Amino acid sequence: MRTRKLSLIVLTVAGSGVAAAVLSQVGLGGSEKVQIGTGKVSALSRATRASDALPSSVLSYPFAVHNFASPNGAGARLVKSDGSLKLYAVPGKAGMVCLIEVDDLAQTAGGACADRRVLLTGSIYMADRQEDGSRQVVGLVGDGHTYAEANGRRTPVENNVFVLREVEGSQVTIGSTTAAQTVDLGD
Amino acid sequence: MVQVGSSLQRRRALAATFVAAFALILVPTAGAESQIYWWQHNMAPGEQGFSRTTAHNHTYNELYFGPNAGWRSEVWEVTPAGYRHFDKVCVGNCFNSHPGYYYDYPYCANRDGSTHFVNDCMDRW
Repeated sequence: MRTRKLSLIVLTVAGSGVAAAVLSQVGLGGSEKVQIGTGKVSALSRATRASDALPSSVLSYPFAVHNFASPNGAGARLVKSDGSLKLYAVPGKAGMVCLIEVDDLAQTAGGACADRRVLLTGSIYMADRQEDGSRQVVGLVGDGHTYAEANGRRTPVENNVFVLREVEGSQVTIGSTTAAQTVDLGD
Repeated sequence: MVQVGSSLQRRRALAATFVAAFALILVPTAGAESQIYWWQHNMAPGEQGFSRTTAHNHTYNELYFGPNAGWRSEVWEVTPAGYRHFDKVCVGNCFNSHPGYYYDYPYCANRDGSTHFVNDCMDRW
């Protein structure tokens, strides 16, 4: 009788512990770790075109040597051309993947490279502060993401990238047909 | 005698042309300088790396965590008067290249919520 009681107590305590652990992941930590897709970027797999070549100016930066899988930017894909803005996805070193932005008119370029696993729970993005205080946000996302949204304005994801202009505030939402993730831009 | 003088003039003109062309080739290279202003440190969240020794007409600013990058970062520039320009937040290793509009100082920061090793921050002018 005594042994049964002890077993019941042990089971109850152990069960409560497991339940608490699960709930903490779902309710607290889990809310920031919604996963979408597998981190694959299909845009990097399409057939090469002449327009995929990165500008020589980008290849001349120390950033290219530090981050690109190939110093000549082999494997890069032009994933969006929007006016004077061009976005390239580039295979990076050691499991990284990169997003490069080039604006011919503004004579600017920028890049972000991060571990591919970032794409499971968010985006490899760049947020540029504009003169009016808003931000231009460009982001690379994994397969499965269908939209990006900020300030109530939604833009579709095409070729694994999105562009959001005049973003106010510090958050962007990206998502699929079934799930959404919050991207924190900071202050 | 006239022919010798003319030949000498042609040689001098040719030499002057070569010198001028060589100088033109060297001008952009001589004008461009770069430095690493933050070198291999554990960078706390929000901690800022910067160079404020001399303001320059910057054209490039880069933060490099390393090949395992996955955290939020930021590069920006500030004029001596305190105006902030060329502010870019990234996920992971980050660079911002732009025309040299302002004489300013380069800044970089780890904007993740925890401390990370930053290999370097580099600027060019």
